[in-house]
Amino acid sequence: MNYAKGKAPIGERLADIFIWLFLILACVFVVTPLLFMVTASFMPAIDIMKLPYPWFSDHIHWQNYWNGLKGPDGSFIFVRNILNSLVVALSVTATTVLLSSMSGYGLAKFQFKGRNLVFMLIMATMMIPFETIMIPLYMVVTKMGLHDSYAGLILPFLTNAFGVFLMRQFLITFPDEVLDAARIDGASEPRIFANIVLPNSGPAIATLAILTFRSQWDNLLWPLLVVQSDEMKTIPLYITKFMAETHSDEGIMMAVATMASLPMFILFFTMSNYFISTEGLHSTVKG
Amino acid sequence: MQQHKGFSMEQKKARWGWIFVAPTLAFFLVFSFYPIGNAIYMSFFKKNLLSLKPPEFVGWGNYKYLFSSDMFWQSVANTAIFTVGTFIPLVVLSLVLAAFIMSRTKLQKFLQMALYSPAALSSVVAALIWLLIFDPRGLANQALNFINGTSGVNYHWLSNANMLRLSTIILYFWKYIGYFTIVFIAGIGGIPDYLHEAALIDGANRWQDFWHITFPLLKPTTLLVSVMVMIQCLKTFSTQYLFTTSGAPTRPIDVITLSIYNTAIKDHNIGRASAMSVLLFLVMLVLTWLQFRISRTEEVTYM
Repeated sequence: MNYAKGKAPIGERLADIFIWLFLILACVFVVTPLLFMVTASFMPAIDIMKLPYPWFSDHIHWQNYWNGLKGPDGSFIFVRNILNSLVVALSVTATTVLLSSMSGYGLAKFQFKGRNLVFMLIMATMMIPFETIMIPLYMVVTKMGLHDSYAGLILPFLTNAFGVFLMRQFLITFPDEVLDAARIDGASEPRIFANIVLPNSGPAIATLAILTFRSQWDNLLWPLLVVQSDEMKTIPLYITKFMAETHSDEGIMMAVATMASLPMFILFFTMSNYFISTEGLHSTVKG
Repeated sequence: MQQHKGFSMEQKKARWGWIFVAPTLAFFLVFSFYPIGNAIYMSFFKKNLLSLKPPEFVGWGNYKYLFSSDMFWQSVANTAIFTVGTFIPLVVLSLVLAAFIMSRTKLQKFLQMALYSPAALSSVVAALIWLLIFDPRGLANQALNFINGTSGVNYHWLSNANMLRLSTIILYFWKYIGYFTIVFIAGIGGIPDYLHEAALIDGANRWQDFWHITFPLLKPTTLLVSVMVMIQCLKTFSTQYLFTTSGAPTRPIDVITLSIYNTAIKDHNIGRASAMSVLLFLVMLVLTWLQFRISRTEEVTYM
């Protein structure tokens, strides 16, 4: 949209000022808590609770990070829990990408009896929120003896309907000639999938991978049910326990929070295009 | 391609189609359809999580209990307050922000990223930050005192029932405002330029362009966002869980998911928790169905 510039009437100019003020205020509201987290993570607890909040301290209190990693009992269990979060989030991302692209490919490019029924069944699972099936899932996983294990943490999330939908929509437009040419050359179906379909699905896979990784990194409810030991805790669980235990040192709390957010922020700032353009796409099918 | 060769290839392809789909289908049967069936089934039984006794059939007993239980209605009310309180400001302000951002020629990308950034945080970290902000000596009191020109007044963000509810709403609003702004921006970007150009040629100003062109065409997006926000809010768990575990009173923010969790895990009452899950499922079913319908009709809006 191009509006004439330079000779805008007073009303327009006032509106302009109002809009900028509003946007700046919104940004201040949104960014202040983040700024608080990062600045507080470098302060001793006494400074954080000063009135008014000082925002910047004279010297950088790096100890918060060291103490955060060490934990209140000096066991460095937080490091183990970060690794657990990585193991779970990366495994779920890998299986989700693989299973979703396999079934998305099957649904997009193969004619078979019952295809529409299968697709509808898979889409119907979007209507079953995790919160309503967590109790039966918990009992299944316990019965299988998988509670308090990586398998138990990963199993209910091997794939999801949104992923299947995304990959199917993406692969429907994949050129049939390329697939048929490979078939005529004698390539087997698994090879076509692995060597032609997967390498050419980059954008869709990246989108799905980011969304899956993020939702697992954030997952609290399921680990809360299945994990018992400190060794198997993921980051959200560690923070939950940490919050309940040490109400004392706010600086360490914020250092832990900053460290827990780092992977997502790195992902966000390096791949912001995927985040920002995918939200629109994502939103059309999933809540 | 010859006819019979093509036919056999079709058959072979059909088999491969099934092979590609089978693992996913099996997964959903075991981890989605079985559990929801089981939840419905268990909602008619009395079963203790820890006891080895077989479940005892009670018919509609669990539902009858819930409908006459103050605690259940309290958690329904809490969920409703949270949902309505979050959803109205979230939808209205994310629409306004999207329209404002799209009307700027500078810093569009920067503003989007800044507003979106809290959505990149995990909800646990968000709760942790805001617990300190809502602390009696925290930024929330400092800001309100500054605005009201008072000093040292404690607004009891985490102890007064209504303030506690407001706190959870503010947190949620803060975390998702950027996300839904971006959804609206996508909706505004989907409106063809020629409609705006036609309006401007006809002498419309920016406000008229927004009110008569953008806003009516955004109705499907607005509806969709509303349903999405409602679904999200009904499922809220982390914030309330973390606030209660760090000492805030449970009763004002005992939302339905928290209540299901506590009924199953703390009270070991699987039947009652299942009945609550089924009721939540029914509400969500209606909302998700609505969402599907809206997103399907949305595509033809600008034709």
